[in-house]
Amino acid sequence: MVNSVTNMRMEVKNLNFYYGRNLALKNINMGIENNKVTAVIGPSGCGKSTFIRILNRMNDIIIGSRVEGEILLDGDNIYAPQVDVVDIRRKIGMVFQKSNPFPKSIFDNIAYGLKINGISNKTEITDRVEMSLKNSALWEEVRDRLDDNAFELSGGQQQRLCIARALAIEPEVILFDEPCSALDPISTAKIEELINQLKERYTIAIVTHNMQQAARISDYTGFFLLGELIEFDKTEKIFTNPSQKQTEDYITGRFG
Amino acid sequence: MQKSKLVFFLCLLTVIGCARDKAGTGITVAGSTSVQPFADKWAEVYMDEHPDQVVNIQGGGSSAGIQAAKSGACNIGTSSRELKPDEKDLTEIVVARDGLAIIVHTSNRIDNLTIEQVKGIFTGKIRNWREIGGNDKLITVVTREEGSGTRGAFQELVMKKDRVAKSAIVQDSNGTVREIVAGDPNAIGYISLGLVNNKVRALKLNGVPATDENIISKKYKLVRPFLFVTKGEPTPVCREFIDFVQSAEGQKLVSEEGLIPVK
Amino acid sequence: MTRLERNERLIKIALFVIACSAVSILAVITIFIFSEGTPIMFKYGLRSFLLGLDWYPSEQSFGLLPMIIGSVMVTFGSLLVGVPFGLACAIFLTEFSSRRLRHILKPIIELLAGIPSVVYGFIGVVILVPFIRETLGGPGLSVLAASIILGIMILPTIISISIDSLQAVPRSYREGSIALGATKWQTTKMVILPAAKSGIIASIILGMGRAIGETMAVIMIAGNAINIPRSVLDPVRTLTSNIALEMGYASGEHRQALFATGVILFIIIMILNTIANATSVKGKAAK
Repeated sequence: MVNSVTNMRMEVKNLNFYYGRNLALKNINMGIENNKVTAVIGPSGCGKSTFIRILNRMNDIIIGSRVEGEILLDGDNIYAPQVDVVDIRRKIGMVFQKSNPFPKSIFDNIAYGLKINGISNKTEITDRVEMSLKNSALWEEVRDRLDDNAFELSGGQQQRLCIARALAIEPEVILFDEPCSALDPISTAKIEELINQLKERYTIAIVTHNMQQAARISDYTGFFLLGELIEFDKTEKIFTNPSQKQTEDYITGRFG
Repeated sequence: MQKSKLVFFLCLLTVIGCARDKAGTGITVAGSTSVQPFADKWAEVYMDEHPDQVVNIQGGGSSAGIQAAKSGACNIGTSSRELKPDEKDLTEIVVARDGLAIIVHTSNRIDNLTIEQVKGIFTGKIRNWREIGGNDKLITVVTREEGSGTRGAFQELVMKKDRVAKSAIVQDSNGTVREIVAGDPNAIGYISLGLVNNKVRALKLNGVPATDENIISKKYKLVRPFLFVTKGEPTPVCREFIDFVQSAEGQKLVSEEGLIPVK
Repeated sequence: MTRLERNERLIKIALFVIACSAVSILAVITIFIFSEGTPIMFKYGLRSFLLGLDWYPSEQSFGLLPMIIGSVMVTFGSLLVGVPFGLACAIFLTEFSSRRLRHILKPIIELLAGIPSVVYGFIGVVILVPFIRETLGGPGLSVLAASIILGIMILPTIISISIDSLQAVPRSYREGSIALGATKWQTTKMVILPAAKSGIIASIILGMGRAIGETMAVIMIAGNAINIPRSVLDPVRTLTSNIALEMGYASGEHRQALFATGVILFIIIMILNTIANATSVKGKAAK
């Protein structure tokens, strides 16, 4: 399966993940190709969100969880003992299911990531805030109200603000955890379009329960079921000619 | 206005007190909280010997007791200070005397002070023990709160017209004054002579040690009377109680409690 | 009307009467304090009460300024002690300790609030006052002693309300911040604390209310001198101590002056409570 990926940015090798004694992910192997969109699909509770959160060590903050196997970023294991987890999260950004701007101004939401990364030059911060907002296609809508509280934005705008926030610190990979599940179709279309543009400069992985979305925006797709990666291949292949019966059942809507 | 309210309150207490007690003839004694514990003792023994009599003891402070006696709200008012000129129309009976001891820490080198020196310390003119022959340490002055009978007596006997310094530490009982002086090597305070114990040391005043004999012989000057006051002559029932208090038996209770008997 | 409806009405009326009497008791107390305390303030002039330096009630001198300053100093001092410790403790328990430790410690801390103030005062007299006297000088009974003991007394209030408001910060803020590569401390300092700000401020103001209203412990350890303290090692008298110390024997104008002290204290506490309510309402509106 991994063979179909030619230019791997990240690689997952023999991954097992435990919540306490409960094995939540079983022996996952897959690659995430550079400057492509990799989608992870599957029914609720299949472990796809857990999986994507493992990719930037977000699950470290869950007490009693445990990871086995390797996850490589540019060939280095991000779970190796000497690795600085904060550094990993800077390189691998994340956008969550529910938009979660901080209770600060629009400007400060983006500047926050820059400040914690040691950027204190005001001009540089201003420039990068503007750049990120432009890259997340939000600039035109908020350029006159950067000091407004982020909560005054609409749901779709808030989610794009969260994307801008992630872009500001210039990650190498961006993970999306069902970014459109709480949005209306128009906002969803905007985010999808944005992801399409972003893949030119970033490597992207996205979890979605929406199969059409996966088909529309991704280059590779992995299908998860009950904590196992059933099938991983080019999106085109998964949706037209899956090699596993379970994948076929799922994408044709026979269960899930 | 305030006084009339207080009197009303005392009346109310009297009524409640009488209603609660079985016997018809009752004596109400109200006033000084310094006198109260002794009055309680007298009343207890007196009622044991006279089962038909009821003596009710209440606090309220010297001034309130004197007012209550004046207005008739109680039969006998008690005071732990001398009567003021405008209160002299009442009949006063001295039932005991209490010495006021000037106390210091047991480690203090000073043994004797004149009344003028004590006054100097409490007005704040003398601030360091060195000035009166002690160690080079600032004096911690401990006094009682405004309104207390002991403070009133100290004011009258030592301070006269002068004020106690504002920087003085204020405590609201003899016990806490004694505790502070017992703990602080640089402290000075005043308490009832009967309450002096071995944790503090009572100073000689003008060379006279604070002892019962010196108080009776009037050599030791810091003495305050414990008074019973009545409006006009005491009624026969009250007279009987007062006679008991002044009797050898009553006065024996006084000396047992650390006060100075009058007879 | 059915029987059920009639019962309902009866219960409603009964509750209404009880509620009214509870409120009217408080109203009567308030009216009483003001009616006893304000006449003398106007008789001698508000100025002489609020700005007078001499408290010699037997000589008709009723200056409360030393006590007002005393209350402010002791309260402020207690915040200097209580807020950093309380906040640090709340932050540790919510952000850095395990859930189990928090579940053990939080009820214990809340239990501390139930210790009678006389016990705190006693500990102050027996341990803290001699310690201050021997190491720093002065009589030991001081602004410093009162501030430390009051600071400890307000810890439970500050800690438990701060914990509640820190825990109320949505998990998604923490995740968002951590995903940007923030450390736990950066997240706490720059996202969690600002988000919990209104609750934390409310906890401080409530602690302040407790400190300013505390009486027993303060009488025991503050020394109660009627002077404006010149250093933290000087004794001090607060408004509450002034009332409690002298109520026993006070009569006439002295007694009224103590009620006037109560009026001033009442007004100060009302102002504090209003601020506390305003900040917590504002906090809720923001969420």
